[in-house]
Amino acid sequence: MENLRQSGMPREKEGLKCPACGREAASVLCRYHEEAEERVKAAYPHWVKAYGRMEWKDYLDSVKRNPQTGQWAKEIAELLKGDSE
Amino acid sequence: MSAGYTLVICEKPDAARRVADSLAGGGANRERVDGTTVFRLKRNGEDYVVCAALGHVYGVSDPSEERTVYPVFDVEWYQADLVDESGAGAGGRISAVKKLSAGASKFVNACDFDVEGETIGFNLLRYACGGKEKGALRAKFSTLTEEDLLRSFENLEPQEGGLARAGRARHAIDFVWGVNLSRALSQSALVSGHRYRVVSVGRVQGPTLGFLVEREREIREFVPIPYWKVSGTFEKDGGKFVAAYANDRVETQSGAERIRAECGGREAVVSSVHKSIVQVGPPVPFNIGDLQKESYRAFGYTPSRTMQAAERLYLDALISYPRTGSQRLPPSIGYGRILGGLREMAAYSASVAELMKSEPKPVQGAGFDPAHPAIHPTGENPKRHLGAVENSIFDLVIRRFLATFGPPARREVVDVSLAAGEHEFKMGGGRTVFKGWMKYYGRYSGYRDADLPRVSEGDRFFVAGVSMEAKFEQKPPRYNQGRLLEKMEKEDIGTKATRADIIATLVDRGYASGESMEVSDLGLAVVETMARYAPSIISLELTREIEEKLESVEAGSQNEADLLRETVRSIATHVGDLSANEDAVGRQIDMAVMSTISKSFVLGPCPICKTGELRIVTSKSTNKRFVGCSNYPSGCRASAPLPQKGRIRAAAKPCGLCSWPVVYVITRRRPWKICVNPACPGRRKA
Repeated sequence: MENLRQSGMPREKEGLKCPACGREAASVLCRYHEEAEERVKAAYPHWVKAYGRMEWKDYLDSVKRNPQTGQWAKEIAELLKGDSE
Repeated sequence: MSAGYTLVICEKPDAARRVADSLAGGGANRERVDGTTVFRLKRNGEDYVVCAALGHVYGVSDPSEERTVYPVFDVEWYQADLVDESGAGAGGRISAVKKLSAGASKFVNACDFDVEGETIGFNLLRYACGGKEKGALRAKFSTLTEEDLLRSFENLEPQEGGLARAGRARHAIDFVWGVNLSRALSQSALVSGHRYRVVSVGRVQGPTLGFLVEREREIREFVPIPYWKVSGTFEKDGGKFVAAYANDRVETQSGAERIRAECGGREAVVSSVHKSIVQVGPPVPFNIGDLQKESYRAFGYTPSRTMQAAERLYLDALISYPRTGSQRLPPSIGYGRILGGLREMAAYSASVAELMKSEPKPVQGAGFDPAHPAIHPTGENPKRHLGAVENSIFDLVIRRFLATFGPPARREVVDVSLAAGEHEFKMGGGRTVFKGWMKYYGRYSGYRDADLPRVSEGDRFFVAGVSMEAKFEQKPPRYNQGRLLEKMEKEDIGTKATRADIIATLVDRGYASGESMEVSDLGLAVVETMARYAPSIISLELTREIEEKLESVEAGSQNEADLLRETVRSIATHVGDLSANEDAVGRQIDMAVMSTISKSFVLGPCPICKTGELRIVTSKSTNKRFVGCSNYPSGCRASAPLPQKGRIRAAAKPCGLCSWPVVYVITRRRPWKICVNPACPGRRKA
């Protein structure tokens, strides 16, 4: 479960754009996607507990496909998935 | 007393006609003064002239001609048609009142008795009649029926200034607030992106948009957690029923599988049957918020649509004054007279006859409004054909009124538990055993019967099957307009008269759209910008504080000029903060404006190439709009014509028959829905 800030993505700079939506980024992500990232990560242990076992990548796939998942959380799942590949 | 006439000022032309006819005891003489109709009549030997405003005929503005400069802190009252186009026709009305005031010896303010009505009457008396607000009389009424109007004119009171002072202060504060912040945001976007768009933030509008944004963020960040729902099918002697596992939510898949394995094929015993009779009291009388919420629930009408229909019904003297916070029906409204009138209407005669068998006494709510009772029918029959919306609202108001006189209803509630080993299943239901008030409220009562199988404690059943269904937590629901109104009431922001308009403005400004009030990028950006550079502007505290101070102005314990000065100081600070960050603010707003505009052209995914988006495109050669695919440059030729008139908005779901987008065409008459695909089987069928 890698943090986007620790990945190979651009570091914080003045005028950086959020890779998920193009808004101005607080660090790497805009504040909306930063919060969505926290939510996606926080939900993972619950999914593992619910299914007994679940790989991080499968989890991201499931979250992305789920119609209940919010738009920003889906965008983050997509980014994290690309990041972990 | 000098030999002049009494000049009566009403809020609207329809109200003036009713007042004049009631005072004259029939048709008053009409005449035209400066293009407006006025009524002359004689009553008890005295001459009267009745004239009307057209809502607000004066509005606040700043003396400067320049509409983009800020900050602006000089506020004056002007003829409303010089302020903006919503004031059209104000000049003629003012001119007529000015002329008529010259021959008047007595002045009566007969505008609606609330803050806005007081302000309208006060301004005309002060500016058009030359300072006659002092010494004028006030006619106070809650319905436009002849009886109520005559009573109010027989009990004229001195014109008080508290409500009008509070109303004028509210207009001035809201102007200073709105004009400065809106210009600061709009100008920043113009400087940054070279595009001008009105980006407004009103005093109540800001926190209201804040509610929507807060919920929108929860929805967009939402990650559902899985769980399982387990239910059992129980059989005996050929009969069967389904009961849910007692624990609504089984957290793990393995847990659900264990229940299935341990219960399936074994015997279950009814461990308890609880039956109880619950008394359900009648609903309280309608205040305006309740009416707007109930109308949204029953018919899907927006709060502003309900308000407009209710106002038309009021002007036709069919219902009482709708902008009331009261949930009480005092005996002074004349229960018997109103019920007697309703008995003449075929749809309600049977209900009324039943209610009148005993002395009618309505249930009362907690909401109190010193000026008006709860919304109620007057008992008068419509004298014209009512439109569909008016008819629905009229029926709802009448049935609610009747329901408040009804006795409590009784419902039988049954809870059954079944034990299968260590596991417990349950089912529940209810049915109305005595309709009481529900009979009068009809389909609006909202209670449904759910019959349960007849079982007794100790009955044994075979567990024929156990099913487990994987579920996910649901994201929080968006506020629809009814729920948003409820939230505004709960947080005590805005007034009963303004809430619906504020919600409508959020839609008009492009901050939110659709029935579910989905927030646009622009709405998000406005709140984000405010939260960063002027957080108290969207805070509830500041809005509430001003609201409380306005109430003190009304009560006479706060000076309105002091309050305005205080507000100006506060706004000056915030506008300064925004101005100092003009570049950053402008970039953020401009980007959101562009994103919102661009998204408004997208109708949905292309069903032909499956990868592009169908969008509204305008032809360079014909200047006509049509639907085209974003993959046109790559070869997708999906296209469709569009109606050339009206605003186009994409529906939430594509066409169920052909998967092409469905759009709403919003015209002045009424919105209509259409699948854009000219070859859609649904269209051919039609």
